[in-house]
Amino acid sequence: MKTEELNFDRPQELQAVAPPEAQGRPRDDVRLLVSTPRGHTHAQFRELANFLDEGDLIVVNDSATIPASLHARGEVGRFLLNVSTRFGPRMWLAEPRWSESTPGPLPLDEGDRFAVCDEKVKLISRYPGAERLWFVEGDLAHAMTRCGEPIRYGYVDRAQPLTAYQTLFARAPGSAEMPSAARPFTTYVVDSLREKGVDIATIRLHTGVSSLEIETDEVEQHTLPPEPFRVTQATADKVNVAKRVVAIGTTVVRALESAWDETEGRVVPRSGFTRLLIHPGRGVHAVDGLLTGFHDPGASHLAMLYAVAGRDLVRDGYEEAIKGGYLWHEFGDSHLLLPR
Amino acid sequence: MKPTAVVTGGSKGLGEVIATFLARTGYDVVITGRSEEALARTAKRIGVRVVAGDVSDPNDRKRLADNTGDVAILVNNASELGTIRPLVESEPDELRRIFDVNVIAPIALVQALRPGLVVNITSDAAVGAYEGWGGYGSSKAALELVSRTLAAEGIHSVTVDPGDMRTDMHQAAFPGEDISDRPAPDITIPFWAWLFQQDAASLDGRRFQAQGERWEEAS
Repeated sequence: MKTEELNFDRPQELQAVAPPEAQGRPRDDVRLLVSTPRGHTHAQFRELANFLDEGDLIVVNDSATIPASLHARGEVGRFLLNVSTRFGPRMWLAEPRWSESTPGPLPLDEGDRFAVCDEKVKLISRYPGAERLWFVEGDLAHAMTRCGEPIRYGYVDRAQPLTAYQTLFARAPGSAEMPSAARPFTTYVVDSLREKGVDIATIRLHTGVSSLEIETDEVEQHTLPPEPFRVTQATADKVNVAKRVVAIGTTVVRALESAWDETEGRVVPRSGFTRLLIHPGRGVHAVDGLLTGFHDPGASHLAMLYAVAGRDLVRDGYEEAIKGGYLWHEFGDSHLLLPR
Repeated sequence: MKPTAVVTGGSKGLGEVIATFLARTGYDVVITGRSEEALARTAKRIGVRVVAGDVSDPNDRKRLADNTGDVAILVNNASELGTIRPLVESEPDELRRIFDVNVIAPIALVQALRPGLVVNITSDAAVGAYEGWGGYGSSKAALELVSRTLAAEGIHSVTVDPGDMRTDMHQAAFPGEDISDRPAPDITIPFWAWLFQQDAASLDGRRFQAQGERWEEAS
């Protein structure tokens, strides 16, 4: 698929700059656009259960957000080190940036040393194909415990506490950025789903820092940094018998599809690192629908949305969302794609 | 004291990438190879030690063992491709050379160095029957069984298929073909960052694809 097929115009103002709680509203007081082959419905997130059926299964990510943004200082001066992914106790993938709003790349070299919260850190190697990412050696877990803050980008107007970046399902710390599709879930929403006869299962996938726009001409040539994931036997069993599987977030799609066994034609328990890129040419096997936020033009996640729901349904939905003034980004509105 | 890692065929291509990564993460790295000049150039650039020699030569292997002490990691990367041609036309002497370098030498190096972890570089030609690739492919298939057998015998051992890359070896396999669309061998760096953080016992007898869709943990 041509990368240009992921492009569209999004008005700059359509982005959430703060969570609903900042205005005294509950988390589930965001909007919900429901896109199906029968058309698009404008709703509130609290009404999610109205759009799902008895026997449906929603799958959520139980990864919790870590305080991954660290102040660093070295020969280039002061900068931010946004931790992305833990490869081992002392081996991390991370993104050095000038600031929340000014990305890198910084003039850094392999072997450079710098300090992060009094912790000595060394640059090991550039990430192949992504100049802004580095493998970094050091005890960054310790540094994050003492000095870390949640990663924030320029469009968020002020710092929010780490709790603003945790979902109701967060259990295991490890995500550099919140698996944000589940952010609007409240106990009210969960109770209403249970009453409806919708079951809930869990996967774990620790998100890295957001990937940039795809730079290759063909989507399939793009590579995504690997992320650690886990699908248990209990979740595989539920997914394999559910009437309809609705992934809560792109991380859930990536994990479930990574656990899809082609030979057996079903989801199997599996854990490790996944490099899977989901696009229409690959398709999806384990999920039938997707609840997610709104994604930026050119983002690789859009290729996944096309794979789940078809390009036309997604593009129609985005037109509808722009006309209706829906808000983009992690504190913004939600989009439920139900292609069947 | 730094732990020691030995990378055979470490002067260029994939071997150089692995040697560089290990050196940066604090290993005392020794690279081997047949071209002293290429070894010296690489050693200067990435800060590793050199023991020149042919892995299939017992005297060279002995010299390597004499210069290494305790070895934490052995990467059996040096490989002989041979001539790409049908098996019925292959010369027995060339096949013998391929098996010497790709199968016998890795075993002999394990005997000589007694490493804590053996990483054997393999190929998709070890599992698929490709026309013209019978010599190289069967030697890599043998290496994979060697790797699993070592693990069964209590020596931590793993095989890694690095995938297609823009290397001299790949060019030799496809003479005259434009291979510029293949990724450079540094495409495998994330995999090495992951692999060398794993508990050696959890890798025993397993096979990974460095450019594959996932790297699974043992269940």
